[in-house]
Amino acid sequence: MKTRGVSTAACLTVTALLVASCSGGGGDEGGDGGPVTLKFQSLSDQPAAIEATEKIVGEWNDAHPDVQVEIVPTGWDGVYDKLITQFNGGAAPDVIHYEAASIVPFARDGYLADLSEYMSDERKQDIPEGVLDSVTVDDQIVAYPTELQSYMVFANKKLLTDAGVEIPTGDTMTWDQLREIAKATTKGKTYGLGWGLSSPTAAFMTLAPGFGGEYFSGTGQDAQITVGDGEMALPELVDAMAYQDKSILPVTLTQSGSEAIASFYAGQTAMTVQGSYQAANIAKDAPKDLEWVVLPPLAGPEGAGQAANPQTLSVNIDSEHVEESAEFIEFFTEADNLAALNEADALIPATTSAQKVMADKLGDENGWSTILASGQHFVSAPYLFADAYAQWKDTVATPAYQRFLAQETDAAGLQTQLTDGWDEITQ
Amino acid sequence: MRVLVRPAQYVALAGYIVFLGFPLLWLISASVKSSAELNSLTVSLLPSQWHWDNYAQALARQGLMSSAANSLVVALASTVLVILIAMPAAYVLARLKGAIRVAGVGWILVSQVFPVILIILPLFLILRTMNLTDSLVGLTLVHTTYTLPFALWMLQGYVVGIPTELEEAGSMDGATRLTVLRRIVFPLLAPGIVATAMFSFVSSWNEFFFALVLLQSPENYTLPITLTSFIGGEGKVALGPLAAGSFLAAIPSIVFFSIMQKKLTGGLMAGAVKG
Repeated sequence: MKTRGVSTAACLTVTALLVASCSGGGGDEGGDGGPVTLKFQSLSDQPAAIEATEKIVGEWNDAHPDVQVEIVPTGWDGVYDKLITQFNGGAAPDVIHYEAASIVPFARDGYLADLSEYMSDERKQDIPEGVLDSVTVDDQIVAYPTELQSYMVFANKKLLTDAGVEIPTGDTMTWDQLREIAKATTKGKTYGLGWGLSSPTAAFMTLAPGFGGEYFSGTGQDAQITVGDGEMALPELVDAMAYQDKSILPVTLTQSGSEAIASFYAGQTAMTVQGSYQAANIAKDAPKDLEWVVLPPLAGPEGAGQAANPQTLSVNIDSEHVEESAEFIEFFTEADNLAALNEADALIPATTSAQKVMADKLGDENGWSTILASGQHFVSAPYLFADAYAQWKDTVATPAYQRFLAQETDAAGLQTQLTDGWDEITQ
Repeated sequence: MRVLVRPAQYVALAGYIVFLGFPLLWLISASVKSSAELNSLTVSLLPSQWHWDNYAQALARQGLMSSAANSLVVALASTVLVILIAMPAAYVLARLKGAIRVAGVGWILVSQVFPVILIILPLFLILRTMNLTDSLVGLTLVHTTYTLPFALWMLQGYVVGIPTELEEAGSMDGATRLTVLRRIVFPLLAPGIVATAMFSFVSSWNEFFFALVLLQSPENYTLPITLTSFIGGEGKVALGPLAAGSFLAAIPSIVFFSIMQKKLTGGLMAGAVKG
């Protein structure tokens, strides 16, 4: 009886391993003379974006029988660790989808091909300078930018009009205007603004250019930090709105953007600052009686600039088919393709031509004309090129900003923590 | 007063069960709510409208069912391997004294202190040399290796709890060492084996990082990898379909636990008393 139990277990193991081995092993490229197969590691996560990606790849495969592209879908979670292991183990895919902030270190370590000579002049001219800068490392273009998000203000039209506020129009609106509207709409249990700043570093970094804030100068290990008036302007403004004006719903400062949106739906906040992609979610999830608008891009004293950290497509330097991979990406980033993908992802295309295609198609639906117009304000993001940025962000900046927003430290303390923390990390 | 003790015990027990089961209840609740409801300030366990579409979306997600099958194969295979290796090894560890025991215990402790991130690259290179990356066989071996030390430690605690007098009695009756193991030790070890098997199964079923790094082809993805595809970039999370997929993913574990529950409880109690 017992022997039978052990035998059953052994049989089960052998069977399971046989099943496993039958399904194991990935496809590989064809032999001599066969078509080249490019592995394209895609992070597309929305069903519509997956469909759009498959459609683009399908069209490429139909038109290029000798160069077939195979999509390898991967999630965002843990992808950095996966890629670093793949690069070191010589098993990285040919075409890599990832965000600029994360591929710059890979480029510096020599894992990504220089695409400068493969990117067409037409494409180079089509990508706004600040966006192209974000994928240029040591004068080499290491990726094609594809999708971006900007920070936009979504407003409850009724609450604004009830407060006697004229809804801003025009190309941009100032931060002072935002502050005034927030004050005017703060009444009773309604706050003027909800802003999910539980992880505030990305928002402060992205919006700092409007105040002349750059945070970093130099690149790589030589990058230096500066936390001056331009860098401190936005955190201090948020602090003033939250604690002097009392026009920011306090709990939202401890929430993520997605969490903060619930109070906007409930009419507890008249406005909310969100990533532009939330336009699609608001259109889908907002209560039917909530009439909302997207306000013009926010502008500081130095303009409406927002630091660009686009999603990108890059090529593994060890790929045997760098040229074919670049040709595929060139096809992938054609205006119609990029517009379709960004529409599916509710993001802003990285090329001017794709922005135009999308604008023509969507018109002013769900504030898209305003959101797409913000695409012209993207500027280079110096933090992308500071080697220790990721570590500084997680261990120094985010906790320091959180303490500041909780009034556990003052502006001078924040300034000191940000600079001293950087010095400690980079020493 | 005494009359009140028993109801109070049941109330306390019920409260404890609700406390333990609440995350699962909340998961089920989230899996049948629309994204509008999930993003509203109204908090309710029962949905205002049942939104079964989340399950349709989760099942429509590329490869969810095949990922579940892959997870099941890997979890079952690694569980059986772990038990087959751990049973004799635990006996040796528990019964023999001297250098073997010291080395065994040392190996177990050392293997537990290494962060996964440190071993993943050499492991990847070794498996690549053996052509076992992107393979469920390779993943099964990794799960087996990774789970084995703790399983061994767990099982040897149960072996220690079996009186040596029983083995000596068997020997006195003329049984060989192998017969003693087969007829006396291993049957008495059943609760411990069940508990260890449960641990191994759940560890493999939920394992994410090795699977993420080692598996390259979608057809080989395990369930945790496929489930993360509901979490997107830019903070986007498809919460409803994720909850539906996660609940579906939890079902095999729940079924496995339900079947093994009685023996598992006995095994844990035996370990608590003797281990």
